[in-house]
Amino acid sequence: MRKKRCLAVGLDGVSRGLVARFMDMGLMPQVKEILSGGFSLHEMDASIPDVSSTSWASFLTGTNPGEHGIYGFMDLKPNAYSMYFPSYTHMAAPSIWDIIGGTAGDKKSTLLDRYGSRFTEPLRSIIMNIPETYPAAPMNGILTAGFVCIDLEKGTYPATAYDYLKSIGYRSDVDSTKAVTDPDAFFEEVDFVLDRRVQAFDHYMKSQPWDLFIAVITETDRLHHFFFDAAFDESHKYHGRFIDFYRKLDGIIGRLFARFHDLTGGEGFFMTMSDHGFTELKKEVYINTLFQKEGLLHLDETKEYFEQIKAPTKAFAMEPARIYLNHEGRYPEGAVGADEVRGVTDQVKRVLAALTYEGENVIKRIYDNDELYSGEAANRGPDMVCLANDGFDLKSAFKKTEVFGNGRFTGMHTRHDAHSILPDSAAPEKRLHIESLSAIILDYFSS
Amino acid sequence: MDQLTMLENKSIFIIREAYAKYKDIALLWSVGKDSTTLLWLCQKAFFGKIPFPVIHIDTGYKFPQMYEFRDHYAKEYGLNLIVGRNKEAIDGGMGPGKGSKLDCCNELKTNALKQTIAKYGFKALLLGIRRDEHGIRAKERVFSPRDENFRWNYEDQPAELWDQYKSESEGEDHVRVHPILHMTELDIWKYVKRENLPISELYFSKEGKRFRSIGCEPCCGPVPSTASNVDEIIDEIANATTSERAGRAQDKEDAYTMQKLRSLGYM
Repeated sequence: MRKKRCLAVGLDGVSRGLVARFMDMGLMPQVKEILSGGFSLHEMDASIPDVSSTSWASFLTGTNPGEHGIYGFMDLKPNAYSMYFPSYTHMAAPSIWDIIGGTAGDKKSTLLDRYGSRFTEPLRSIIMNIPETYPAAPMNGILTAGFVCIDLEKGTYPATAYDYLKSIGYRSDVDSTKAVTDPDAFFEEVDFVLDRRVQAFDHYMKSQPWDLFIAVITETDRLHHFFFDAAFDESHKYHGRFIDFYRKLDGIIGRLFARFHDLTGGEGFFMTMSDHGFTELKKEVYINTLFQKEGLLHLDETKEYFEQIKAPTKAFAMEPARIYLNHEGRYPEGAVGADEVRGVTDQVKRVLAALTYEGENVIKRIYDNDELYSGEAANRGPDMVCLANDGFDLKSAFKKTEVFGNGRFTGMHTRHDAHSILPDSAAPEKRLHIESLSAIILDYFSS
Repeated sequence: MDQLTMLENKSIFIIREAYAKYKDIALLWSVGKDSTTLLWLCQKAFFGKIPFPVIHIDTGYKFPQMYEFRDHYAKEYGLNLIVGRNKEAIDGGMGPGKGSKLDCCNELKTNALKQTIAKYGFKALLLGIRRDEHGIRAKERVFSPRDENFRWNYEDQPAELWDQYKSESEGEDHVRVHPILHMTELDIWKYVKRENLPISELYFSKEGKRFRSIGCEPCCGPVPSTASNVDEIIDEIANATTSERAGRAQDKEDAYTMQKLRSLGYM
């Protein structure tokens, strides 16, 4: 029997809707071709909050945030208002490559419980550019981390892989500030970084042995944040460049598919996926400003970030739409006693539900912690998380005077409308969720 | 008077001042070079016999050499040693492999110390922190009040002009006293040499690496170094271009991360 191999191509922020529309417009012929040969394009839900760090952690561990413990790009230290930036070292659940590679160590998860015993012979993985995998931990294969990759050397395992990546001028990310200061230079940089990334994919696909290869492209997300308004607007100055980028991306996906097909004689498991959807941004919504106006949040403005929070604050928000009650005993300035939790929760929900912009409701739904999260890290998660209607990007900035505003972004993440292309043999029975993709891959390897 | 004697006199003055003010005082001894130096200074301040307890917060994850060192010198110096552990958390399986490192530190270090302070009712603690360790320490005071949550209000610090130490405090849970705040890493090593102080072997180079600061085994990384004795360490530090916390590059990384997150609107 031929050795089983899986190639998963991650496309950060590429929504199902965008792929479908661009295929209709004839911009993605290669993807269309793939879909005509026993593959389907599925709409998928991301984790909540629908932020890349959380969603990728859900993908790579096959668990919910209550197990893996990553609720965003920032979090607060225990018993404090000071921030820390959750990284791979904070991820409580093992990754899919740890499970198949026999490197899970002390980490535990429900996915490991289900599949761990099926992998007695360790499988080798090549993992490139998945966000939230920095710093690189030793594993069975090769890994180079995605956003936020502070130092490519610390973000790459083993050291020989760093030497190679450095030699080709590989970069983990583009400089997104250029999207505002010098858009033309930004597009050029996107091309440059993407070319090096694909060069590295090609190199490792053919020069190394592997069973699982995950290749993630993140330039898509960067482009969407700043230029999503250019996607379908022909009069937009950068519409042409946006379209050209997608033509190029289509070619890359087609080439990766063809190479994989050659390597496996057409018997491997090919898939694509994204970590969240994307839509056009109408208004940024500053939750903490709303809370201030409603008397729920009190700040000492001589301080910075969350250190500003002072009693009698009842609630505060953290990017993107995580709501925390200022619990007594949990926070230094805690002002919500156990007997007040229910009342404050109801008040927060009322305030959020009543929020409208030009007659339109901003908040689609407010989830309680226990509706979303289960596992040992669930109690470290937010008390509530909001899901906004499309177009309203929930933010937690402190220094805004108005609840609604616009920044430099034209696109925003959505929880719904992430995408996955899967072989029809692995078509899901119900609506696809990002937390179930790892199990689909493990099913393939262990069937 | 030479430089080291001046530094020593200043430290001894602070230690005696603290003991005169707070009878419920203890010394926090991590077994590292700084608090071991402080331990020595306390002995000198009271002519060989420290009149208050010495606390070691034991996470259970210290290097084996540290436990040996602690027990050996606790006996040799006749210390009244209190070993503080967060027994509940340890029994619950807390460790670097479980949850985040922050939870681990918080439970096994911070909460263990809180419990120890509460159990014995200490009003003051002597600590071996130094001003040159970290930027945030620049505003630290020799007498530094803490509330019950251990918070240090760095924007409201008692004035300490010249050597007028403000040892009085009101309404605070306990006072932290920092008798070697004015010493640098280099001063410490020069003093270790002059006094011929015993120091953990982990600081000396083995196979091209040594520890520049020591703590829990899973979270400490050695730095490349060939310095295998105190003289060589003094030489290395005098000519060093990297900071003592090079193994702990968190601050710089955080600044970079913030800049990256800000560029995508996450801050």
